[in-house]
Amino acid sequence: MIQAAKNLITYRELLAVLAWKNIALRYKQAYVGIAWAVFKPITLMLIFTLVKSFVGIDSGAIPYPLLTFAALMPWIFFQEATADGVGSVVSNAHLIRKIYFPREIFPLTTVITKLVELGINFVILAGLMAWYGFMPTAEALWLPLIILYTILASLSISLIGAAMNVYSRDVANVLPILLSLMMYASPVIYPLALVKEKLLVNQAAGEWSGTLYTLYTLNPMAGIIDAFQQTLLHGQPPDFSAMLPGMVLVTILLPIGYMVFKRAEAYFADVV
Amino acid sequence: MPIIEVNHVTKEYRLGQLQSLKHTLQRIAARLRGQPLPERPLFKALDDVDFKVEAGEVLGIIGHNGAGKSTLLKMLAQISVPTRGSVKVHGKVAPLIEVGAGLIGDLTGRENIFLNGAILGIPKAEIRKKFDEIVAFAELEEFIDTPLKRYSSGMSVRLGFAIATSIDADILIVDEVLAVGDLAFQRKCFDRMEEMIKRQGKTVLLVSHNIRQVERLCSRVLLLDHGRIDFAGEPRTVCDRFYTKNDAIIADNSKSLSSIARNTYQTGEIELVSATILDSTGHPITRIPYKADITIVMRFKITNTLRTPTFGAGIHTTDFLYLTTHNSEQQVTLEFVDKGECEIHCHIRTLPLLPGPYSWRIGVTEGDAARTVFYAENVLHFQIVADSNHPVPITSRQGFFELDANWSFESEPNVKHTPAVAGRAVH
Repeated sequence: MIQAAKNLITYRELLAVLAWKNIALRYKQAYVGIAWAVFKPITLMLIFTLVKSFVGIDSGAIPYPLLTFAALMPWIFFQEATADGVGSVVSNAHLIRKIYFPREIFPLTTVITKLVELGINFVILAGLMAWYGFMPTAEALWLPLIILYTILASLSISLIGAAMNVYSRDVANVLPILLSLMMYASPVIYPLALVKEKLLVNQAAGEWSGTLYTLYTLNPMAGIIDAFQQTLLHGQPPDFSAMLPGMVLVTILLPIGYMVFKRAEAYFADVV
Repeated sequence: MPIIEVNHVTKEYRLGQLQSLKHTLQRIAARLRGQPLPERPLFKALDDVDFKVEAGEVLGIIGHNGAGKSTLLKMLAQISVPTRGSVKVHGKVAPLIEVGAGLIGDLTGRENIFLNGAILGIPKAEIRKKFDEIVAFAELEEFIDTPLKRYSSGMSVRLGFAIATSIDADILIVDEVLAVGDLAFQRKCFDRMEEMIKRQGKTVLLVSHNIRQVERLCSRVLLLDHGRIDFAGEPRTVCDRFYTKNDAIIADNSKSLSSIARNTYQTGEIELVSATILDSTGHPITRIPYKADITIVMRFKITNTLRTPTFGAGIHTTDFLYLTTHNSEQQVTLEFVDKGECEIHCHIRTLPLLPGPYSWRIGVTEGDAARTVFYAENVLHFQIVADSNHPVPITSRQGFFELDANWSFESEPNVKHTPAVAGRAVH
């Protein structure tokens, strides 16, 4: 892990250049350019708002479009960083066969690329907040930490997934499906408060309610999305009880994922 | 202390390919039940390779296709790891395994310089500093802000080479990159490589099929054969051995005339039946002593009357460098040759070739317009050998020919001549 941090410093220029390349390539010869990054969250936000008008989701004091956009931002960041990260080693096979540098550069570059797109979405969010008359409070300073945690959560899947994908391309095919299922198990369309109310207050599943809630929050995105909304929209500190199970999971998965990745790394050039 | 240590390195690959998920699951199940697994056969790409390179050395690695050259370089560049043994490299490595790996068509030349530089591990500040030099070397001043996809293939290769050779590393690993671009640029690349090697004193590992280049640039050469070090040592010796070996393989592969001949062309009017080299006593030979008198005997079968034919014979190296050609035009004047077999002799006095492997090419033309009716290269292999009876003078060791030259020191301000020695050494 210390070596990993050292590499990060040694190869920071490469990371930056590769991320810039990803972005430049994606938006070159496109008139709208990098503005495409906001297309997905805005579309989803509009769809969810439309659906919400039929089924009725209680968004509390926050207007629903704002609430769901603040959820979509970390979610799409996580989903795309993870899915692209898993494919990143294989899609850079031409470099892997020719030049050596630590291979975790590839999943990391993906994360940084997506981070830039996340940054652009903040502009839209600021616009929405201004429209609805929301002012961010000092609690918003939690955001960098929350985003860092999202990166770690994404890497804990993408490192191990990227290594496995070199040996079996099934991984990169299955993962997007799993991730889109995971969206429904995350408080994207509905706020975490509803789940909390159902399980912790109403005890909807009887004696299993507490366990179910822990299971639900084992998904790091449950805590992350909630923390986004808490700090930005509610002006509250993050709900750490909702983040804890996920954090434990990431703390276990990330070192394992990193170790598996570094073990497999030496053979990437032979197999990929 | 050696800058590169390769300790008994073996690299094995499994033959065949990775199997389906179902197969993998079956294998895992079998392993869990403790059943023996059907192993895929192993292939040894490198077999117990062991050598050291000192700082400043220029090591050439040669060998036939699949001998393990590129695999070895991949180990040195840390791209792959050995199955057994270890590779230790002390210093920064610049791998030029393939020029232009990582160049991207959608980016401009300028952007590619920064991207490729970063991939090769050149700090950004340094790329900035060397930017103009890179552009000038690649001769791309006009096109530097054009996307690479609009470049000709030669232009992108030039860019790749210019970036790759601007790395400031202790060790350069070069795999077949010198032959890039057109002739003028190849010359430039070659000069740059030579400059890096000779002047900057870098340690270089050079893999190439261009044996002459290896011989010229390297201070030591490794000959790999099926993953093993077959021979290592002084460039000339190793390269000669490689040529000889190559020749043996070629000769082994094909005993018959037609199959070894390369680049053949015939109209069907005339066929080469046999070609032999005779020594001065009339015995067929393939190993010709240095400076011997020989006769080449060519037998042709003519199936259609030929008018004023001219016969030609030339010598080329095993890599098809044409050394000399001679034809019968002014010595044999025939109005026509009728159908049937004919024999042509070409007598050569004191063949001035230096020792090494060579081959004959033979051609026949017809008429005043010299219409080619038969042409073939690599028709007949032979080797020039030196022995105690026919030593090569120490004064002409490199190249292909001995010059009939005399040296003298004309102005004499203050010199002392050593007593003349009949200094002749066997090569």
